[in-house]
Amino acid sequence: MLKILSSALSDIVGGYVQRRVWITLATEDIFDQHRRTTLGPLWLLINYLAFAGTFIFVFNPGPVDPYYAIYVAVGLLVWTYINDNITQAANLFQREESFISGTTLPLSVYVMRLTLQNVIRAAYAVLGCAGILLLMGAAPAMVWLWSLVGILIVLFVSPAMIVVFAFLGVFFPDSQFIVSNLMRVAMFATPVFWVHGGEGGLRGALYNWNPFTYLLDAVRQPIVDGTVPVLALSACILVGVAFWVLAIVLLGSLRRQVALVL
Amino acid sequence: MVSIKANDLRLAYHVREKLTLRPRATRVSKHTGGTITGAGRHRFVTALDGVSFELEAGDRLGLVGANGAGKTTLLKVLYGIYEPTAGNLEIRGKVDALFNISIGFRQEATGRRNIMLRGLINGWTEDQIAGRTEEIIEFSELGDFIDMPFRSYSQGMAARLAFAIATTMEPEILLMDEWIGAGDAAFQVKAKQRMNELAEKAGIIVLASHSEELLKKTCNKRLELERGRVKSFG
Repeated sequence: MLKILSSALSDIVGGYVQRRVWITLATEDIFDQHRRTTLGPLWLLINYLAFAGTFIFVFNPGPVDPYYAIYVAVGLLVWTYINDNITQAANLFQREESFISGTTLPLSVYVMRLTLQNVIRAAYAVLGCAGILLLMGAAPAMVWLWSLVGILIVLFVSPAMIVVFAFLGVFFPDSQFIVSNLMRVAMFATPVFWVHGGEGGLRGALYNWNPFTYLLDAVRQPIVDGTVPVLALSACILVGVAFWVLAIVLLGSLRRQVALVL
Repeated sequence: MVSIKANDLRLAYHVREKLTLRPRATRVSKHTGGTITGAGRHRFVTALDGVSFELEAGDRLGLVGANGAGKTTLLKVLYGIYEPTAGNLEIRGKVDALFNISIGFRQEATGRRNIMLRGLINGWTEDQIAGRTEEIIEFSELGDFIDMPFRSYSQGMAARLAFAIATTMEPEILLMDEWIGAGDAAFQVKAKQRMNELAEKAGIIVLASHSEELLKKTCNKRLELERGRVKSFG
């Protein structure tokens, strides 16, 4: 066990030492993807606003309900970030095959490259989210600082999630399509655009037993309800620790095999 | 003192049958060469077996062997991409490698920007990169093309830039796989001269190639591999 832990930590520390590599690559990835467009990365903001607008106006016809608009705006921001991380992680090592089989960069470099790419994408969406909050008259309060804690926890969990799904994709190549389909279903099973009113049944079960619920609520609850998300934060910490334990075991025991298996 | 000591190196691995929904009979596993033993879920590939050799400062080793003999695998073991499963490998000196010209190059970025990226991947500091950029540009003979996108480069131009970057920082041990034939004749002469300079500066070069002529011109030692085992060394 000590050997596994030491191997995983050496990869993580190596990733930190090589941080200039993944910061540079991730930043350039975003600009490369939009290099030939007129609006550049602003498309990320437009994509978010188009998606959020569809939910706000189509799923809740009639006069705009500020509560629902804010609920969707924050929920969609967090969901999009988590969804991008998981779906893109499932074939991460395959996409990076030429690097993995040609350099000695630690696997953490690729994990952090993807994490930072998605953080940058989410940063553009944050502008759109802030705009919706402003338009809907949301008044910032001290309790919103708990949303920052929630964001930090989501950021803390995401590299571990990427590691787990990246290894799954290497040893079970079909998983990238399975994960992608499951995430499409998960969007409807997670309270991104529907509100749980305390009812039981299937909706209640989907709300209570879905870990994504708590990742969303940890950020959304302080802004939408003005309360401290004690349950959501506790559940997120549990989910985060579970993912990190699994990620460390996978990194420590299988990282040397990835180059041979790809 | 720069040196490589490989003693009874072995790289064997279990071919994990990937969990897949494909029918069992059509599952194909990619491997690195060598010999395959067992079947089904109990297949093992021995990519290298009992490989021993010693290199000292100034040596230029040519790796030869048929496709799948283990040349690239041995280079990757020396570089640290693969971990040997048995035997001892003792390397003294900073190792750099050129396996694939396109690794680390961004198609949309200029040659100049790519020097920075490739340098970062090689573990150089920004000061080291800045200090060597002009020398790299001069050696690669790219001229004004250095500020053009990498995607506009010919294969030869890309090879010149990759070689210039890899050799400018004067690695103590340089590992190269085949690709040196990518440049034109003039570039190959220049590349050979630089490799000689590196070797004379107490470095080690290991070059895998099918070209006996290139190896004769470049190397003073030769290691022939066959199905992952040393057939001859000297």
